[in-house]
Amino acid sequence: MDSSNSFFWTFAYDFIRGPMVWAAFIVFFAGTLFQVFRLLSFTKEQPISKLTPGPGRFIPKKADDKGKKDWVMWLKLSIAGVNPFMTIVSTIFHVLLIVMPIFVLGHNILLDNSFGVSFFSLSESVSDFLTIIVILCVAVFLYRRLFLDRVKAITTWSDYLFLSLAAAPFVTGFFAYHQVFENYRLIISLHILSGELMLMAVPFTKFVHMIYSVIIRLTVVSEYSLGRGNRTW
Amino acid sequence: MFWKQSTTGVNTKEVKAILDEKKAKMKLSLKACAHCTLCAESCFLFMGRNKDPKYMPSYKFLNSVGVLYKKKGKVDRLDLGEMRDLIWERCVLCTRCYCPVGIDIPDMIALARRVCRSQGVYPQYERD
Amino acid sequence: MVKAERKPIEEIKDAINGYEKVLVTGCGGCVSVCLVGGQREVNELNAQLNIYLKNENIEKQLDGYTVERQCNDQFLEELEPKIDNYDCLLSMACGAGVQNLAKRFPKIPVFPVVNTVSIGIDKDIGMYEERCRACGHCVLGYTGGICPVTRCSKGLFNGPCGGTNNECCEVSQEIPCAWLDIFNRLKAQDRLDDIKKIYVPMEWHNQTPRTIIQEPYEKRYSV
Repeated sequence: MDSSNSFFWTFAYDFIRGPMVWAAFIVFFAGTLFQVFRLLSFTKEQPISKLTPGPGRFIPKKADDKGKKDWVMWLKLSIAGVNPFMTIVSTIFHVLLIVMPIFVLGHNILLDNSFGVSFFSLSESVSDFLTIIVILCVAVFLYRRLFLDRVKAITTWSDYLFLSLAAAPFVTGFFAYHQVFENYRLIISLHILSGELMLMAVPFTKFVHMIYSVIIRLTVVSEYSLGRGNRTW
Repeated sequence: MFWKQSTTGVNTKEVKAILDEKKAKMKLSLKACAHCTLCAESCFLFMGRNKDPKYMPSYKFLNSVGVLYKKKGKVDRLDLGEMRDLIWERCVLCTRCYCPVGIDIPDMIALARRVCRSQGVYPQYERD
Repeated sequence: MVKAERKPIEEIKDAINGYEKVLVTGCGGCVSVCLVGGQREVNELNAQLNIYLKNENIEKQLDGYTVERQCNDQFLEELEPKIDNYDCLLSMACGAGVQNLAKRFPKIPVFPVVNTVSIGIDKDIGMYEERCRACGHCVLGYTGGICPVTRCSKGLFNGPCGGTNNECCEVSQEIPCAWLDIFNRLKAQDRLDDIKKIYVPMEWHNQTPRTIIQEPYEKRYSV
């Protein structure tokens, strides 16, 4: 039986293409905003005290000891120098995860049809290539989870679940674009559904680390904070 | 779980009260941990102990504070004993752990130590 | 805890001049907490030295290893199998750690990388303020928790000198008078009687190295 013809499937297809898209975006944006303010409420502002050298204050460094910040050295001593492979894979993965959905041609056509506005679009071949890159990154993460002792030591079932959920929109998108399976409608439904689930999951599940990392590392003072950091926990 | 854990010898109410104090921050931090293990190399004990995963900062807080919140404070002496080895023997609280997400790992270890201490669980140094 | 500062890189370069294989040993104790001698600083120093060596075309082997605490022999044991491979050691620990390392491995030169500055508190990230001079004669009990040895320029025990100057020290207008702070705190606690007694001056018996034994261990070490 061709399932896409049944009443249920028509209904489900319409639902995930219509109301659920709105629900997903509302949950995503409202949830993100909620978590941002929640995180900020956990931390409090701590003004940075300014000190001029002097007796009883601090011992000023000799002039020749102060150099301009060496960014190459900084990078070398950061996680990029400690674990360069994972830094590159992880950075590419996260950037593409956020950027890709916005600039894929298909998404922009939908935007244009609905609202008459759209972003700049990547060419289809570029999108296709970048999708493969994302899937490769996921494969790297999966390999680490399955075979590296240190990752295995703290892996739980939810890690696989959320890794699959992050990969699903890309895998299904790839299949849909190449029409790998005959039932295009089912694949594109899964594509939309997984995208929506992922959006809704961002503020409330393990994916919250995307919000957490931006807010905490940019605002809270620590050895590793990005920028000066004028808040404390 | 079908069986109930025996919590004899542990004042679970007291443990719960300590956990509740920092619940919001800790639970969100535990959730935010992506289990990526990029914190490992920042721990000098991990580097000096043949890169044993048990020395990873994330392993240490997931198996101490993580367990405490998961069990909502209903832990037994055995759990606390395991935690003691983890948070005192395998951590010197030098506060230098790196986390790409920005999780405050030393604070979590300190909280686990506080819970253990409240139940009389801490390292016993040799005394005559 | 103990607070320290990195020595200027020139001084460290001079120290290892002429030694081919150098092991930089970090300490996971106080100097790690004050961001000056932990594993990360070991890596940083090695990276800086390597750049310098490359520029000068000098061949040296630089390695790093961080132990839990250099002030305890037990934690130096793990260095034992490595030590024969090196011509000199750079220690990133405090003065006590450097000496313990030098004593544990007497055949090999040990050079300090940091200047041990004080016993202090963590004000903010990377900012530490001296609070204790380890004088061995703590008077904080009657001075309202404010140390006259550390805070008063003259280290006076019985009230301020005649040089107090608009609530500040005669040494500088930037330094608040320790004894004024002591007075104010004791007054707020209604404990001014505490400083009405005359205290004898410090017996500066810290001129020789002192050994302390924690109370539960006294029996263990008594003759």
